Amino acid sequence: MKTTPPNTLTAKRYDGRSPVGEPVTILWSGATVKVIGASIAQNYLLDRLSVSPRIGKADRFVVLPDGTQLQCLDVPLLDRLRQEGKAEGVVAWLEQRWHVAIACLAITLASVGTGYVYGLPALANQIAARVPIEYERSFGAKVITWLDEQSYFRPTALDDDVKQSIATGFVQLSQDLPTAPHLQLEFRNAPGIGANALALPGGIIVITDQLIDLSESVEEVLAVLAHEIGHVEHRHALRHIVQDSMTAAIAATFTSDVSSLTLAVSGVPVLLAQTNYSREFETEADDFGFALLKRHDISPEHFATFMERLHATRGDKNERQLAFLSTHPVTAERIARARAAAQQ
Amino acid sequence: MSALAPVGTPAANPAPDSTGPRELALRFTGSAAEYFRIWIVNVCLSLLTLGIFSAWAKVRKKRYFYSHVVLDGTPFQYLGQPIPILKGRLIAAAFLGVWYLATHIMVELMPIVLIAAFILAPWVLVRSAAFNARYSAFRNMTFHFAGTYWSAAKVLYGWAIITLLTFGFAFSWWQQRIKRYMVGRSGYGGASGELAARGGQFFKIYFIAGLATMAGVGAAFGLAIKLGFSPFDKSSFLIVIMIVTYSVYVVAYAYLRARMTNLVWNSTQLGPLRFQSRLKARALLGLYVTNAIAILASAGLLIPWAMIRMQKYRVEQFSVSIDGNLAYFKGSSTSTVQAAGAEVGDLMDFDLSL
Repeated sequence: MKTTPPNTLTAKRYDGRSPVGEPVTILWSGATVKVIGASIAQNYLLDRLSVSPRIGKADRFVVLPDGTQLQCLDVPLLDRLRQEGKAEGVVAWLEQRWHVAIACLAITLASVGTGYVYGLPALANQIAARVPIEYERSFGAKVITWLDEQSYFRPTALDDDVKQSIATGFVQLSQDLPTAPHLQLEFRNAPGIGANALALPGGIIVITDQLIDLSESVEEVLAVLAHEIGHVEHRHALRHIVQDSMTAAIAATFTSDVSSLTLAVSGVPVLLAQTNYSREFETEADDFGFALLKRHDISPEHFATFMERLHATRGDKNERQLAFLSTHPVTAERIARARAAAQQ
Repeated sequence: MSALAPVGTPAANPAPDSTGPRELALRFTGSAAEYFRIWIVNVCLSLLTLGIFSAWAKVRKKRYFYSHVVLDGTPFQYLGQPIPILKGRLIAAAFLGVWYLATHIMVELMPIVLIAAFILAPWVLVRSAAFNARYSAFRNMTFHFAGTYWSAAKVLYGWAIITLLTFGFAFSWWQQRIKRYMVGRSGYGGASGELAARGGQFFKIYFIAGLATMAGVGAAFGLAIKLGFSPFDKSSFLIVIMIVTYSVYVVAYAYLRARMTNLVWNSTQLGPLRFQSRLKARALLGLYVTNAIAILASAGLLIPWAMIRMQKYRVEQFSVSIDGNLAYFKGSSTSTVQAAGAEVGDLMDFDLSL
């Protein structure tokens, strides 16, 4: 639209009856404005008019008392009118300034960073401290029932005396711990899963026949179980749920406006962020396990030798490819830490 | 939900002045630098208010994209208000919470939840389309959506049953009925949309996309085995398969989006208006891939830039022509922006489209 004297504004008038506009001129004088066009010439008090919120550099709409709209450029004159959506006006003011944008960027990065490193883990800890482990029990029971039903787990084929010696060692290892009443050891044959041990919500610890077959002493099995007890003692199941769901929720705030396809891609950083938490949990469980073993005069060296054997049977080819996605810290690192703990 | 909406982009549905068949100028005037500021300010405020501000942020975002699509010299207007959006989000969050409970912890609730979802789906469809239409305006006249629960249920479930009975063969016809319903019930200035596209045309697009996907995934398996990855050496084999499957999916998605958008718009008529969408699958694919790389590499900071260039492409490939006069469209006392504004605050006024 062409240059006009400072107190006049050209506009198009839309009465809401037809999408065909009428060119008009808006004249500003003190507390009144005059709207002049082919079919209109009327005075309005300034405070009877309002204007649609400012957004970017888009044209805005002056609203007359009867609902008629006047489309015009976003010029400073419009600031004199009543602004629709007051809160939006403040936001619009912020949005137009680069230094505000940079400050917002800094605040966002700082709060996301501290939230991720300190805030979320602290929040998860608080929640875990307030939610008794009993509440997790039915969830854990559902998980193991599901694994049984899906035939991931089959009944154990171990000899009773093997089971007995491991169970006795397990009870001795855990008897002084706060979570001891909730710990429950389960033996399962799991050909599809292989040598593994899992800490399920609520204190259920599952150990596979394959793991016991691979071990060469009861101490090695207990070393693995001490690690799993560490997961229970630190309430990792619950903390995992809290931290992962919060990470996902915050990521959704950022990406709520990208298409679902890009969303799938932006899932990668979320996955990495969650993986990092899992690694921290593994390290925490390892440390707990080593200390527990030493208190019962079992050397963490057993953990190291067992992990080495496990590593050798699984082959390290896959592991290196997947190291950055792995939820377990790379085995070599864990073995070294176990040896260091044994030396102390 | 938004995939079903007839007005797939805010870029669409129009009206202008004069006689004879002619094209109406359509421009996208947004810029990445400008939108970056809007985006970061709103993200920051959403974060600091623990997400509550996100409803206000959504209004700003929608307003930006509507207001910078200029048809025949006039920008579109977004009239949605934060409070109904916040209400809608709370309702959606409650649904999601129940869904999570039913899938993870209280599995015995599942049948009830499924039945409820089945009963509510047509309502959600109609409700969100109506909200979107009612709070979108052009030249002081709002759009409208005249769907009802029963009509939506018939379209949604009638053809779904046939699709099930034909083992999915009727899927394209089902989708065509849904689109035709959504377009037919949408209107502006007293005129309703009309979709002339036939089920067979939908079928052709779905068929090619499906065939290409199967061929791609099959080839991936073949290749992986040929390269010596044994299905028993699970992780590396799985990774190859996953990467190829995902790539094939992205290609098929770009193809479907481009062809479907073009088909629906090119066979839609609204009073004297006709539309032309010329999206190219290859160009869309390029945008998806480069946007994803840019977003990943910039830790999300290029999201605004990615959104702007996507919208720019879509609007540039879109045109609106008119055979007659915009005076064809007649507003009423209920279709003015003022009337839409008066409705905000109504208890039942909430936005379910996230």
